[in-house]
Amino acid sequence: MNPAMWISKTGVQAQDAKLQAIANNLANANTVGYKKDRVVFEDLFYSVEQQPGTQRADNNTLAPTGVQLGNGTHMVGTQKVFSDGSAQITNRELDVAVVGNGFLQVRRPNGEPAYTRAGQLNKDANGVLINAQGLPLVPQITIPDGATSISIGDNGVVSVTLRGQNQPQQVGQLTLSSFINPTGLLALGENLYQETQASGAPTEGNPGDAQFGTLKQKALEGSNVQVVEEMVDMIAAQRTYEMNTKVLSAADNMLQYLAQAAR
Amino acid sequence: MDALIYTAMSGAERALRGQQVHANNLANMDTTGFRANLELSTAVQLPGYGYDDRHMSNMQANAINGRQGTLKSTGRELDIAISGDGYFAVQGPTGEAYTRAGAVTLDADGTMTVNGMQLLGEGGPITLPPYRKIEIGQDGTVSILGQGATAEMQVIDKLKLVKAETSELTKNEAGLIVARDGQPLNADTTVQVRSGHLEGSNVSAIEEMVATMSLNRTFEVQMKMFKASDAMTEAGNRLIGG
Repeated sequence: MNPAMWISKTGVQAQDAKLQAIANNLANANTVGYKKDRVVFEDLFYSVEQQPGTQRADNNTLAPTGVQLGNGTHMVGTQKVFSDGSAQITNRELDVAVVGNGFLQVRRPNGEPAYTRAGQLNKDANGVLINAQGLPLVPQITIPDGATSISIGDNGVVSVTLRGQNQPQQVGQLTLSSFINPTGLLALGENLYQETQASGAPTEGNPGDAQFGTLKQKALEGSNVQVVEEMVDMIAAQRTYEMNTKVLSAADNMLQYLAQAAR
Repeated sequence: MDALIYTAMSGAERALRGQQVHANNLANMDTTGFRANLELSTAVQLPGYGYDDRHMSNMQANAINGRQGTLKSTGRELDIAISGDGYFAVQGPTGEAYTRAGAVTLDADGTMTVNGMQLLGEGGPITLPPYRKIEIGQDGTVSILGQGATAEMQVIDKLKLVKAETSELTKNEAGLIVARDGQPLNADTTVQVRSGHLEGSNVSAIEEMVATMSLNRTFEVQMKMFKASDAMTEAGNRLIGG
């Protein structure tokens, strides 16, 4: 059979996967702390049918070029692009945005840590700071009863003013975790990421120190999806898909001519 | 048997295999830094008995197109593209190889990699310590704003950038670019790097589609020749059979 058909198939499949990633990015264009996915392709291995430089049998000249046929394209993987999203000012006391490197750490119900950039914090019944899904922050911070205002500094220090007192009182310190290769984190959904072998171990520290970014209270980090960019990518993916199917039908036509020639 | 059918066969085979090259180029229209493969064919003279008018077609396909692909701005610090001629050096499975793909990722140790292969600097693979900000300069210098409180960029290494005539380059089995003579290329200081950009594939959709259509029709013509040859032989058979 005509190998061009299978080669075009890899192209069609690749664009299919890309469209799926684009659809997911667009669906999350308004998700706080969402990082866009990017699909990365590479060309598949080549079949060398004739090595360049082989000696021709009839005389002593060398073949200047050979025959190498590619086998199509291959999806290396999807990459999360960890560029900063735009900041949205919300004026809610318990909203924090991470500006720069770093993730907030939360504890999942099974005790394992997870990391997030979405800083819509809440208090549970006991005053413990939790994220939007209800997972407690690590290190745990409890806001005492009767706190009239909460302030979170750029360096992560959480202080509260209690009713009847005029001096704010420090109740905890928000920390950030950073990874040498955040692209290697496993996306768990719910804006959460999990450490993997590829991401390396997390380094914990206070916001503003060393490689860590700072925290901004009363703001949230929006998604870093650029809607126009996604739309352009979508058009390109659709047309590339179409062109690959055209080659598919051209390859099919050739087989048809062949079948008709041999009666 | 008339030799015509074999001549037509060589043309048909060339069209069929040429189609593979164009299918591969189109399949890689979205592959970062992909260089299109060129497909050429030459006429090979076949000395015959009495008359020398048979030329078989022979396909060659291992040259690459050196045209620049479009640069796309991505804004990601670790995305790099080369503007103009030149290649990045990577540690391929069989030694040093070259690529135009520049979507750099770091592995768990902080080593810079492209599609799973280590990116080479002047002193071999480049390993980055934890950093706050990274900058890749126009000449390929990699500098970071490190852990320290000082606001000074610290130079880590310089990317190995090479340049060569496209005619001296070919692809290896892994799809990486290597020199035809197999020797590593020397670093070239005139290569210009743009960070925050990626280079798209340099495949021209128009050229590939036109080539596909034309090959399709070439194949059809060869099939017509098959039929003509068949009809002629059949006529001969009828003469003998009476």
